Formats: sequence, C-alpha cells, structure tokens
Amino acid sequence: MEILDIKDLSFTYNEAALPALKDISLSVNEGEFVVLCGATGSGKSTLLRLLKPQLSPFGTSTGVISFCGSPISECASAADIGFVMQRPEQQIVTDKVWHELAFGLENMGVKQQDITRRTAEMASYFGIEDKFDKSTAELSGGQKQLINLAAVMVTEPKLLILDEPTAQLDPITASDFINTVKKLNRDLSLTVIIAEHRLEEVIPICDRLVIIEDGRIIASGPPNEVVTRVYDRDDIMCGMPAAARISAYLGRKDCALSVKEGRELVRCYNNDKASSEPEKAARSSEPVLEFRNVYFRYERALPDVLNGLNFSVYRGEIFCILGGNGSGKTTALNAAAGILKPYAGNIYVFGKKLKEYKNQSLYRECLALMPQDIQTVFLRNTVREELKDAGVDPASLPYDLTPLLDMHPYDLSGGEQQLAALAKVLALKPKLLLLDEPTKGLDAASKGRIRTLLRGLADSGITIVAVTHDVEFAAEAADRCAMFFRGEIISTASPEEFFSANSFYTTAASRITRGHFEHAVTARKAAELCLLNGRKAGM
Amino acid sequence: MRGFGDLNPAVIMTYYLSVIGTAMFCMDPVVIALSLVGACALFVTLDKKHSLKLHISFFLLFLVMALINPIWYHNGVTVLFVVNDSPITLEALMYGISASAMIVSVLYRLRTFTMIMTADKLLYVFGRLSPQLSLVLSMALRFVPLIRTQTAKVRSTQKALGIYREDNIADTLKGEMRIFSIIATWALENGIITSDSMEARGYGEHRRTNFSLFRFTRGDAVFLALCLIPAAVFAAAVASGEAAFTFYPAMSGTAVTPLSAAGYSAYGFLSLLPCILEWKEDIRWKYLISRI
Amino acid sequence: MLLIKNKNLRAFIVRAFPFVLIPAAAILGAVVFDNSRHLIISLAIAVMTLLVFAAGYEKKKVGTWRMVIASVMTALCVFGRFIPLFKPITAITIITGMYIGSETGFLVGAMSALISNIYMGQGPWTAFQMLAWGLIGYIAGIIAEPLKRHRWLLLVYGVVTGIAYSFIMDIWTTLWYSNGFDIGVYLSALVTAIPYTISYAVSNFIFLFFLAKPFGDKLERIRKKYGL
Repeated sequence: MEILDIKDLSFTYNEAALPALKDISLSVNEGEFVVLCGATGSGKSTLLRLLKPQLSPFGTSTGVISFCGSPISECASAADIGFVMQRPEQQIVTDKVWHELAFGLENMGVKQQDITRRTAEMASYFGIEDKFDKSTAELSGGQKQLINLAAVMVTEPKLLILDEPTAQLDPITASDFINTVKKLNRDLSLTVIIAEHRLEEVIPICDRLVIIEDGRIIASGPPNEVVTRVYDRDDIMCGMPAAARISAYLGRKDCALSVKEGRELVRCYNNDKASSEPEKAARSSEPVLEFRNVYFRYERALPDVLNGLNFSVYRGEIFCILGGNGSGKTTALNAAAGILKPYAGNIYVFGKKLKEYKNQSLYRECLALMPQDIQTVFLRNTVREELKDAGVDPASLPYDLTPLLDMHPYDLSGGEQQLAALAKVLALKPKLLLLDEPTKGLDAASKGRIRTLLRGLADSGITIVAVTHDVEFAAEAADRCAMFFRGEIISTASPEEFFSANSFYTTAASRITRGHFEHAVTARKAAELCLLNGRKAGM
Repeated sequence: MRGFGDLNPAVIMTYYLSVIGTAMFCMDPVVIALSLVGACALFVTLDKKHSLKLHISFFLLFLVMALINPIWYHNGVTVLFVVNDSPITLEALMYGISASAMIVSVLYRLRTFTMIMTADKLLYVFGRLSPQLSLVLSMALRFVPLIRTQTAKVRSTQKALGIYREDNIADTLKGEMRIFSIIATWALENGIITSDSMEARGYGEHRRTNFSLFRFTRGDAVFLALCLIPAAVFAAAVASGEAAFTFYPAMSGTAVTPLSAAGYSAYGFLSLLPCILEWKEDIRWKYLISRI
Repeated sequence: MLLIKNKNLRAFIVRAFPFVLIPAAAILGAVVFDNSRHLIISLAIAVMTLLVFAAGYEKKKVGTWRMVIASVMTALCVFGRFIPLFKPITAITIITGMYIGSETGFLVGAMSALISNIYMGQGPWTAFQMLAWGLIGYIAGIIAEPLKRHRWLLLVYGVVTGIAYSFIMDIWTTLWYSNGFDIGVYLSALVTAIPYTISYAVSNFIFLFFLAKPFGDKLERIRKKYGL
C-alpha cells in the first residue's frame, strides 16, 4: 500500500533566488525503509521537513504531497508522522525522562491512565525502564537520542522520518540506534525515511536508496542498482560502504553492500600473487608530547580516569587515539592542553614540563586544542569578527573562507564550522595541534577535505594528535594509531598494522579482507590488491 | 512505606498552608511554642546531615529579634528597668520573644518545605493550575543544567585558545560578558530546535492534558483529613475568641474552656502530624523487619 | 494557542492584573493577613502571572516560540543568580520585556524568582521577588520603544530598577519584621541594604551596557533565520 506520494514537488525559500528542490517525485510504500543521501546543502533536510507539515519551512512550493491518499497538509496530525532530528540534546523538551515520553500524548489530550500504560510500554520496548525517573540532563548522547525516538514512537506514527539521527553519536552507539530503527521497521512494518551521512550501516539494510543532488533526485531504487549507477561519481562514492567502494574500483556489475557480500567478492580475487607490507613512514625522533605515568581523577572519591598513562608523539606526525566511550581519551587531551591537572606523573611538551609554562605561554605559538563541541570556539556574531579577534588575515589561510565571512558561525554547516574554527586555532601558530573528534557530524566529502588539510599541516612540521571514534578516518589520515582502554594506551602501531591486528574495532575494509589479504585497511588498498591479484579462474 | 515527603505534593502543600496559615492568625505563646516544637522536630527528623550550624544561626537570629522589640517599643505596664530614659517593659520583651519564636518556627518550616518540595513536586502543583505554565517551568529547569555545562565547556575551550585571560579585571569582565552573550545565543538557538521538536510532537494541536507520576491514594486522603479537621477545630476556637492572648497593655490569656482546650490540642496535633507519620513508618518498618 | 478567547476579558486581565490585583494581593497578604499567608499569596500571584501571560497570546506559531524563549530567558536568569557579586537577572528580565513584550517580561521575572528559589530557598520573600522582577519586566515592555531608541534611557532604567528592587524588598523586610509598616524600621533597613542596592544598580548597568544590543541582535537574527 502506498503511504506517501510526492508528485513534481518544487520548493523555493523566501528571499532565495534559486529553488531548493526541483521536480521531486517519489512514492513510498508502507513498511519500506528508505535511505536519502546527498551532500550537505543538497536539499535533503528541506525535503524531509516538507513531509512534516508542522516543520515545513517558509517559502513557495508547487506540486503535491499525499499522505495515505490525501494532501499532507490536510490529513496528517502530528501523531501520524514521527520526526527525529540531528541533535539529541536540543530535541528534548522536558526535564525528566518520564515526562519526555508522556509529552506527545499530553499534546494529544490522552487520559492519565492511558498515558501511564503507553509510556510504560515504550520504556519496556526500548529498554529504558531504569532511566524512567532520571533527569534528561544526566543521559549520554546515545541515550538521549533513544529517548527522542521513544518519545516520537509513543504516539504510534505511521511514518518515521529521521534527519541525520546519528551524526552526533559515536559509531557503536550509532549502529545500536540504526538497529533499533530497523527493529521498529521489521516488528511494526513502520515506514522509515532516513537521511544519513554514515551509510556503512544503513545501506545494506535499506529497501530503497535515493540520491539527491542540487535539489533533484538523481537516482532512486534498490540500493545495489543505485550504487552501480553512480560508480563514476567519486564525490558520492566516498561516503558509500567499503564493500560498495571496492566493487566500484573493480567495476563490478553486481555491487556488494555489506561486509558479508564484500568478503564474497574479495574471495574471488584471493590469488596469493601480490600482498601488501605496512608502510614504514620515516619519522622524526624528536618527541613533542610525552606522557610519563600520568594519573588523573575528577574527584577524590571517583576512580582514576588516567591510569599511569605513557606515550610519546613525535614531530610532524599525525597520531590518532582511538577507544570506547569513557575510556579517558578526551581527558588525556585536556590534560595535555593544561585544562585538567593530573595528580601524579608528568606531561612534557617540547621537552619542557607542562607546569613550567607560565602565564599562558603554553598557548602562544606552542599548543592549541580544538574541542569536540566546535561551537564553543565561537564568541562573535560573524566569522569575520571571529577572525579579526584572533588576528587572522582570511587571505593567508590554506583554504578559502571568503564566502562565509559575513555569516554567523552557528549558521555554518558542520564542515564549514570545522574550517572556521581551525582558522581561529591556526592563528595561534601552534606547533602541536590537539583535536578532539575532528570528524564528528561531517559528511564524507568534508572528512576528505579535513584529512587533506591535516596532512598539509603535518607536512609543514605541525604535530597533530587527534582523538577520534572514526576508525575509517584514522585508517586514512594517521601515521600512527593508539588504542586507549581504561585510562592507558594498550597498543600503538601504524594504521595498517593496528587495524589488521584488531578484528572488531577496525575498518569495514579490514573486516572484508581479513584472511584474504594482510594489511588492507582501506577500501582503495583492498581494491588495489584485488586488481594486482586478478580474478581467480572460474569465479 | 510512605513518609511525609512521599505524599502527594498537593497534600504536602495543603499541610504547609494550613499549619503556617492558622498559626499566624494567632499571636498566642502556647500556639507559638507548639508550632516551634513541631517545626523543629520535623526538621531534626528529616535532616540527615545534622546541621548544627543552622540551629545556632537560627538561635542567634531568635536572640537578636527577641531583644530588638523591647528596645524599640516601650508599650506595656510592667517596667523592668530603664535605659537612656527609655523603659524596657516585660510585655514588650515577651512580645519580642513570641514574635521571633514565630519567625524562627516559620523558618524551620520553610527549611523542611524546601527540602521536601523538589522541583518536580513544585511543577506538579503548578501544573495543576496550568499545563502551559508547568511546561515553561519544566523547560526552564532543563535549560539550567544545560547552560551550566555549556558555559564550563566554552570557558575551557577559550582558555586553551589563550584568549581567555585572567590577569586583568577589565579583560576578565569583558571575556565573561562575551561568554555569557554567546551562551545566550546558543541557548536561543537550541530553543528553536526545542520548539520545532515540540510542534513535531503535536504541541498546540489539541487541548493538553497534564501527566504526572504522582497519585492521590487513600493514605493521602487520610492525611488530608487529619490535617484539615484539626485546622478547622483550631480555627473555630480562635474565631470564637475562646483561645486568644493579648500582650498590651498587660499580658492576659482567656480562661481554659472545652473549646479552647480542644483548639490547642488540635493545633498541637497538626503541628506534630508529619513527625507522627515519620515515626509511625519508622516503627512499622522495624516491626516488619523483626518479623522476617 | 489562544488561551483566553474572550477579547474583553483578555484586555481586562492584561491591564488590571499586573497593576491592580497582583500588588493588592501582595500588600493584602503582608498587611491585612498579619505577615501570614505568603504561600497562598505567592501561589495567587503565580496564577495571575500566568493569566497575564496567557492573555498575551494570539497566534499559534508565535505561541510555542514565545513559550520556549520565556524558558530560555528564565534559565539564563536562574543560571545568572549563581554568578558571584553581579546578578544579571534584572537586566535579562528588562531585555526580555523590551524585545519580546510585557507579558513575557513579567513571566520571566516572576518565574526566575520562583525557580532560583528552589536552589536558594523558598519563603514568603518568593512572592515579593516574583512581583518585583515581574513588574520590572512588564514596565520595560511598555516603554520598549524609547528604551530601544535611547541607550542612556535604558541604562538609567536599569539603575533605577536596581534601586527600586532593593526598596521593594525592604518593604517586605519591614513588614515581615515589624508587624505592620514602620517607617523607622524601613529607613534603617534601607541603610543596611546600601551595599546590596549599589551592587544591584551596578550589575544592571554593566549587564545592560554589554548585553542589551547583542541580545537584540540575537533575537532579531533568530526571528529572521526561522521566519518567526
């Protein structure tokens, strides 16, 4: 049964010269799982918001959107279409979890007894009974997003729309979230439309993939067919699952999507003719940042967060620290930046103890920290003022910020915010750059841009330490990777050795090639090895 | 097992209104003494931290306020002694003691009220009045910790950027203002998303109901009755003029009648009611545990 | 979200409540009821605050947004009460009244007092603080146009309200202490409160000096960005 039908939809924002959406036609059946992908600013969010009358942007639209057979603005009550947005924190309305779950029902005017029953039901289904009485402020990002989903599901919507719901989550939490959505889709035959940058997880499980570019749908259909059609588009392919990228490099007509299909594919090329050795990068022996037996805890009664931490970072390298939530990665970074003070052990920056840097001298032409929450870097109303404050000449930057100068920093996209913040940080002429989750919330193209930029900085002699959850990013960007676990670093190696030694905490490409090729941790490398080996006879 | 703090917030509110409200109509040393004993006993029962400091500060307050009245006012017929040509009278001294005992007893009551009426209970009581107001309160309560953590984050980011300086008052002030200002922008920006999220979940589409985890049980009903009946008896005694006390010109109370006796005992019961409940629950728990 | 449908009733509430009924309730509570029923009074004032607020609403979209903005501003006030020495609460209330309107100004002032006292301690003073801050916000809304046009006027208003706040709160101190209004006690209360009075006035001046324009820009920006 058709639940949603869009015919020739075009939309132009007020005060905008060009339309944001052009001739969109799409129909979605009940129970379908649709993934919408496209670059930042391609019109994904506009389209999704037009499907939810309460959130429709202001502007002029032509064309028809029908929901369950009648025009959407007439029939759809807020309860029928659920909408989950990107930022987990900001969507929460009330101060308690139970109140949040009840909120939608309160708005529908549902009776007290029914609210009790339905919130209890939701809490059990989502496994959040123990959080029921908690303050919403106490929850982690992933839990908040789960509450947002539960709070939307409580009114029993027929259609669930998700606009980049996992952008602010770490990969493991994100994958849990996607699985919950898939479970809802499977258990209740709930129709799902999801816009995502992180396609590794969603593409293998979706029924339909829609690619949108400059406000137009350029491809729509079963995911493997759609991906095959955009093989030649590097800017789109860079965000696709590793298996799909390998297929594209090999020019396969039957596109693999999941790790399982990817392994099937690589098996056909496992000829033992060529193999890969981990690259040994020539590295400086001059240590820039050293941790020696560093111990830190937030309060006397709490356990150690840094537990005898030891590591060294050398000049001009990109050092990526990986590890789970709460393992102490960010704490280590903040200790290195002098924001947190360890109670035992020493930290050396350029051979000098951290304590010996007096009067902000640590932050002058020495070290700079880019925080995880990039918005905290900005204090002014325009990018221009920001740069002026920091004493940056926009023309001297390695990238062009001119089109953004008169915008409010909060109005920039995630990738643009990273670039603007980096400009402000680079004004301090740091020789050691500490980055906390530099790729959080970015699409694949922006990640690529950041990667190139960091490589350029490293080549110019700036040492970079990045804390990240993003294994794909670390595999491509890092010179060395380190695994953080319970307050210490338990292994350090080049990305090739590091990720091929891990079997769970590793890249999709490494999981695909495991047992077939050694040290192939990126899709490009895997594909190159396949081509070198050639296809096995008869397969 | 429901102590005083676990009762329905509206019942708790009613209790405080009746115990404080009735006492204040009656400047009677007996009533004030009962009120002080009840208020103090409840505080001691509920207070697990044994805040001796608070008791001392309340006592000092009591002394100062009790002594100021006879120094300021010179009404009354019984002159104790004369200072600087001003007579210090027994009546004014007694009035001062009574009035300050009253204030201290109210302060103790307010202490326990603040301890018991946590934000969500207050919200429940106000939510009964209007779901809209309840929502504004709930949202504001959510924003306060958010703003606090964001401010801490901005501060440490700016510190690591070397822009936040602490060596100069003018710079610090300017920096703080800038941070406060950007936090406001951030909060308003968040507010837009919150308001989207509210509308997406049907806010404003229908008449709202107000959901709460608090229930009105039989225990609440019993407590309410035990609170309102003595309050009514006491009010009747005061209104009939049979329980009254005057300080000026000379101190005099009314003779003890059945109604005034009933009024005083009713107030004593009312004043101690929460403590009685707490003690009863305590004994019941110990008894039940001993039988396992 | 039209809360009160009758137009005349709405007009009556908007005018009569903040200027007649709410002060009357507060004074009645303090004088006639013998320093007593402050909780009833504080409740009564909160109800009336709500009615004034409710009467200010007309369109649906603005309704939700105003609701949220009131909570954000209230939260900023409450957060600001923890700043040592300088308190932005009056300044933010004034800014709210000035840019969003009288009713919201009143609500933010009054609710900030109520919520911050959850942390600071509730008491009869809550009602008076609600009233004092509420009125400061309400009046800022009424004289919004001149305040926006002349910066000096805004700063003067800030200093005056800082002093007025202290004077109003001293009325409360006097009533609470001396069973009825006594001018001698009131004057001595004013004298002892001089350091506080100065700190209020200076805080208001500083915060309005630095924040008024940026807040105006911010609200304007949000209005434009989201087409409100």
